[in-house]
Amino acid sequence: MLYIRGEFDLCTGCGACLLACANRAVGGYNPRAARLKVYSENENLVNRPVLCTQCENPFCLNSCPFKAITRNPETGVVLIDKDTCTGCGICVEACPDKMIQLTSDNKADKCDMCGGDPLCVKYCVPRALQLVEKKGAAVK
Amino acid sequence: MSAYMGKLLYIDLTSGTSKEISPNPVLVKNYVGGKGFGAKILYDLLPAGTNPLSPRNLLMFMPGPLTGTLAPAMRGCVVTKSPLTGTFADSYFGGHFAQEIRYCGYDGLIISGSAKQPSYIVIDDGKVEVRPAGNIWGLNTFNTVEALRREMGDDSVKIACIGPAGEKLVSFALINCEYNRHAGRAGTGAVMGSKNLKALVLRGTNTVKPADPKKFISAVDLAYRELAEEETIAGFTTDGTPASIDFANDEQLLPTLNYANGAFEGAAGLNAVAQRRELWFRNTACAGCPIACGKVGIISRGRHRGLISDVVEYETAAMMGSNLGLSDIREVAYLVKKCDALGLDGMSAGGVAGFTIEAFEKGLISTEDTGGLELKFGDTASVDFLLEEIAARRGLGDLLARGVKKAAAALGGKTADFAVHVKGLESPAWGPRSVPGMGLALATADRGGCHQRAFPILYECGGEWNGEPVDRLGLKGKGEIVASLQNYLAALDTFVKCDFATYGISKKTYTAMLEAALGEAWDENELLLLGERVWNQIRLFNLREGFTRADDTLPKRFTEEPLPEGPYAGAKITTEDLDQLLDEFYQVRGWDSEGRPTGQKLEELGLNNMPLFEQPGL
Repeated sequence: MLYIRGEFDLCTGCGACLLACANRAVGGYNPRAARLKVYSENENLVNRPVLCTQCENPFCLNSCPFKAITRNPETGVVLIDKDTCTGCGICVEACPDKMIQLTSDNKADKCDMCGGDPLCVKYCVPRALQLVEKKGAAVK
Repeated sequence: MSAYMGKLLYIDLTSGTSKEISPNPVLVKNYVGGKGFGAKILYDLLPAGTNPLSPRNLLMFMPGPLTGTLAPAMRGCVVTKSPLTGTFADSYFGGHFAQEIRYCGYDGLIISGSAKQPSYIVIDDGKVEVRPAGNIWGLNTFNTVEALRREMGDDSVKIACIGPAGEKLVSFALINCEYNRHAGRAGTGAVMGSKNLKALVLRGTNTVKPADPKKFISAVDLAYRELAEEETIAGFTTDGTPASIDFANDEQLLPTLNYANGAFEGAAGLNAVAQRRELWFRNTACAGCPIACGKVGIISRGRHRGLISDVVEYETAAMMGSNLGLSDIREVAYLVKKCDALGLDGMSAGGVAGFTIEAFEKGLISTEDTGGLELKFGDTASVDFLLEEIAARRGLGDLLARGVKKAAAALGGKTADFAVHVKGLESPAWGPRSVPGMGLALATADRGGCHQRAFPILYECGGEWNGEPVDRLGLKGKGEIVASLQNYLAALDTFVKCDFATYGISKKTYTAMLEAALGEAWDENELLLLGERVWNQIRLFNLREGFTRADDTLPKRFTEEPLPEGPYAGAKITTEDLDQLLDEFYQVRGWDSEGRPTGQKLEELGLNNMPLFEQPGL
């Protein structure tokens, strides 16, 4: 399966990925609304992109009491069914990388890989974000 | 819906109160944002002759309507009346601070008054708080950022702050916008210090929404493509601005030993090759910028081993390097970082240090003024000492803290002959003696000696204008080039653009991004008219402050002392040359022979009956 990998050595911290993602997620620009994060450290010597890696053993999926989170068996992408989601927020707490947030409609929201052609990758000029193959991934 | 947030935030530090203002739509249409908003507001709200360091002065942080969107390489500017020049001043900063102003819900921040005690402002979305600065007052800029993040319990807040130099009202103190991004020029940090304001801390969750999202993305994609296809941009990505060291050195434009020369034998120690070898690990960028002219790394050998340094960009590499006879980039990186920490503009600091060392060498100051230290070119310790003295305003440093113009006036004698400034702003790192168009650009820039308002060097050094080759040393036609560039760049400074992106993004694409963001029809001619309006608005401000044709001038070093060697040996811009350049420039601009906009010009630009920006009552 494919997932998005971020590299600290290539990421310039420009945040174009965050803006493109936020605009798709909430219909406006603000990096805080993006489904990925970029942490800058040490006077910007390091810019560390953190993305949902569609974990093999997803804590969000495991924690959801309502089975609103499932993995697409074909793509391997971990998705939230908004109709089933109650906005309880347990998945938000469960993800150690803070890759899930509650949106203004009180639904959990996470990276859905833009359906296969992620905007964050498209706007990453320094190629710090790339779609990579996770070999032999267990599908839960 | 449009990309405007629809509100400006006015904060009065004297009373500690703030107010949201909805700007008059007529003014929004005519001034757009950034430099435009700043120019209009400063003209309307600041009485003539206001002391720049009095509470009455305004300190504005102005993003533009494209700032914070996916439009590539947008920034913000600080607008105020400069304590260094007494002119209108706009100083541009990259980083992420301008974007956060918009995410807080504002198209700009206007700060007036002065806090009773050292303070900082926190804007958390719409919530505005003025807090005592306590122990943060006195800290250098790096430690200030760290302390404020800790205080907020959040590393994602965006901070603008001053260092000790701003607190001490050094006339060329800067405002730091994390990290190595500054509102550097013209002493904005001193204005902030005079307001007892150590920092602004922002955190915002609002989103910026272009009027036509689909058209906007198409225009943005076009801009990305144009940047990707332009060779000059690829150069910035690979080498950053230090590549200009070689260009300037070859073209005799590199300030060397306080501008005595235009080429430096140690230039290869300062250029991109040297910086890559000694400093750089990786590229870094401002918000939403695919160019990434920044390069960060760690010095890995020598006495500054372990020092984290961003790119020593061209201006400071030259002003603190070749201009001071320093050819080891590690020493220059150390000094530039010291400027950043103390909150000093590295360009002016380089100009001031060059002036002081020359004064020492000429015997106009002595070891009595320096606590026994022999000041020398090519000597880090001399510069290190001067920076410390200036930031603390100790001894000679107190005099130098006023900039070369005032320092020369106080020192007297022949010192004014080698005080290299225009209107009090220390000249940037482009010696103009063999490029008279650049000389004109420096002489007429709105904030004093500045290379960013027009950069005709690109055309004078082998370029074409309107399909015709440009005569480098010629005077004719330079007025048109300068005026035209000033207008276009002033228009883009309302957006607020980054200078480097303009080498890639076309006028058409900038216009398309603005149109889609605002949901208004704009064409390229209107864009130029906007720039001309803003330029004339600022001219009216400077005229009202008492500036005249006589101030549109160049330092004696450029008018009387010819370039000593190289292919352009003998070149200078005489006062007669300057007169000819100015006559043509004023004529192109529709100004009278004293440099005052004619009634007809004001009418053409709608400046004769523009509504006032009203004083916000609190």
